[in-house]
Amino acid sequence: MGAGGCKFCQFSSGRSRNTNSFDGPSSSQHNISTGRGSILSDGRIDRYVPGVFGSTFCKVNKKTVDRLILQVLGIIGHLVESAPDTPEALQKLNEIADKEEGWIQMIHSMVNIIPLDNPLGPVVITVLLDDCPLPNKDTIVKLSRIFSLSRYGSVKKKKSVCQQRNVCIILGMLAEKLAGPSSVALLTPGTLAYLVSNLEENVEPILTLFSLVALEKFAQTSENKLSIKRYLETEPVNPILKLERFVGSQDYVEAQVGFCAQWCLDNLFVVEGRKLSYESIDLTNINAMLNSRDASEYLKISPDGLEARCDAYLFESVRCTFPIQTGIWYYEITVLSCGVMQIGWATKKSKFLSHEGYGIGDDGFSVAYDGCRQQVWHNAHIEMQPNGPPWKPGCVLGCLLDLQTPKAVFYLNGNEVATHTNVFKFAKTGFFAAASFMAFQHCRFNFGRNPFKYPPKNIPFQSFNAVGVLNAEERVILPRHLKLEKLRRMSVKEDSCTLCFDFKATVTLKPCNHSGFCENCSVQLLSCPVCRASISSMAVDNPPEITR
Amino acid sequence: MAALPRRIIKETQRLLQEPVPGISAIPDESNARYFHVIVTGPEDSPFEGGSFKLELFLPEDYPMSAPKVRFITKIYHPNIDRLGRICLDILKDKWSPALQIRTVLLSIQALLSAPNPDDPLANDVAELWKVNESEAIKNAKEWTRKYAVEN
Repeated sequence: MGAGGCKFCQFSSGRSRNTNSFDGPSSSQHNISTGRGSILSDGRIDRYVPGVFGSTFCKVNKKTVDRLILQVLGIIGHLVESAPDTPEALQKLNEIADKEEGWIQMIHSMVNIIPLDNPLGPVVITVLLDDCPLPNKDTIVKLSRIFSLSRYGSVKKKKSVCQQRNVCIILGMLAEKLAGPSSVALLTPGTLAYLVSNLEENVEPILTLFSLVALEKFAQTSENKLSIKRYLETEPVNPILKLERFVGSQDYVEAQVGFCAQWCLDNLFVVEGRKLSYESIDLTNINAMLNSRDASEYLKISPDGLEARCDAYLFESVRCTFPIQTGIWYYEITVLSCGVMQIGWATKKSKFLSHEGYGIGDDGFSVAYDGCRQQVWHNAHIEMQPNGPPWKPGCVLGCLLDLQTPKAVFYLNGNEVATHTNVFKFAKTGFFAAASFMAFQHCRFNFGRNPFKYPPKNIPFQSFNAVGVLNAEERVILPRHLKLEKLRRMSVKEDSCTLCFDFKATVTLKPCNHSGFCENCSVQLLSCPVCRASISSMAVDNPPEITR
Repeated sequence: MAALPRRIIKETQRLLQEPVPGISAIPDESNARYFHVIVTGPEDSPFEGGSFKLELFLPEDYPMSAPKVRFITKIYHPNIDRLGRICLDILKDKWSPALQIRTVLLSIQALLSAPNPDDPLANDVAELWKVNESEAIKNAKEWTRKYAVEN
């Protein structure tokens, strides 16, 4: 959600970092190529499955759009540190998709040619949809007609699992971007029946997963949420309840389905008579977990605090509860998906800028390994590019932090892949285990509650779980609706700072004499917020009293 | 969820209790920093009769940095480009933490009343606005009818 939240979006459509003035979009508008004979030299165009939707869009050249999308797919993993210019293929697609028929062709092409096995496939869909102008309601109605989804219709027979997965990703993304009347228009009775039918037992788990995520995104519009709830109630047994049994499954896709089902039941489609997971979860012997109070807004954390997943189109981050001041420490994660995740270490100074696409490894105070692109990230730069195969579901990443040497070491399935030291120029202590996730990424953390799979040999490390202590409140990961309710009941004191309302207002700015600010805010000011006068000094009334 | 600053809670409460005429800003059900915004086109402007959807996000360091706002509904306006990005000084270098969601949205509504083709973001629109204002206004009205009026 949001403009440019995806880790890669900042590179598209002339959106560049560090710019105050926009140059506006490309001046060469609608330069749609109609040239033929544009087949990729590496033959990837062969993946194209013709006529799945029976395309009637002749003005926009289908092959051109297919080729451009495959080009974007080919370069997207390398975009992160490359030139600030928009890649040509992306720019061209942007122009094509500015017109309705072009936009619809782009949807067609994405459905047909984004392969299931490329971990960056979903990224390409989200980048392209985020970057092109959004369709109006008429186009949405047209799209629903083209998809013509239904429970028992021909869709399931005619389209491959991969194509159907792509349809679900696109539906989910549009449902989120167009929350409101257009999202209602998109969720036709046929579409709803189709998505719910994918929650049944005989369906490929990958389709169940993305259908569940799409339903979750449709439910962001209240009217849709009601329709979905009503529809689920007409089923003999709520299919989401049945899917919950997959929590913790040994099959990595099923495990994701189980996690998402549980999350939906706790947060979104609450079922009467079912205990919320946080009330029934067994937290015995858990002394360190992911800190739900120190996580990006949309990150989903399991009720035991040891599993996290992102389904937002943002780069979502989280830190662990346990701070490290000194010594040698180790934890492991098991990846359930194989896309972009940056996992490692961060201090509290590391900022979670999920809407900018910055996470762990993207500032000086953090370092992270991403086994999808096989890169070590620090200070928003690729520090190392170790060899070897990219990670696959089930791979175990080991993270060792040695503050005595000091060094950070990453292991993949027990093999050392990288050693890093530069982060210690920024911070010597105060580290937390931390991770960032792109859309649809998911992993399990082991902070020592269970035996480690690949403990580093001959290194006297400690585990957070053996040393950590959590109080009763810290252990509870509240569902969102309860959390927001708690926030709404908070009140604000009369004499609080007019900027943050968190602390007492004690500061008067000089020479303009404007007041009503706390010390914490005042030190961040470059000029007076009221009159924009520059600040020569500040007068403080009393020592600040923390009201939080 | 990171702890939500009281500033955001307070602003949200006020937006819901005392809404600004012609503007609705509703926080997302699952993200208190993300707002679904609808601005109605001001009277006597080419955008009259339209409801324009925007998204507004409060970044982590808000109010020290400006909210991120963008039009979701297509609009023909010299200071708004085709991806909905807005050229408005208070969203950039003229931001002040004393400004609020409310004041930002009022400024955007004012920008609809008073397009400024001399500081353009959408170059082709601005050009037409300068050389043939009546034609540009005609286009703006047409886009409003086409994209911003719900049937």
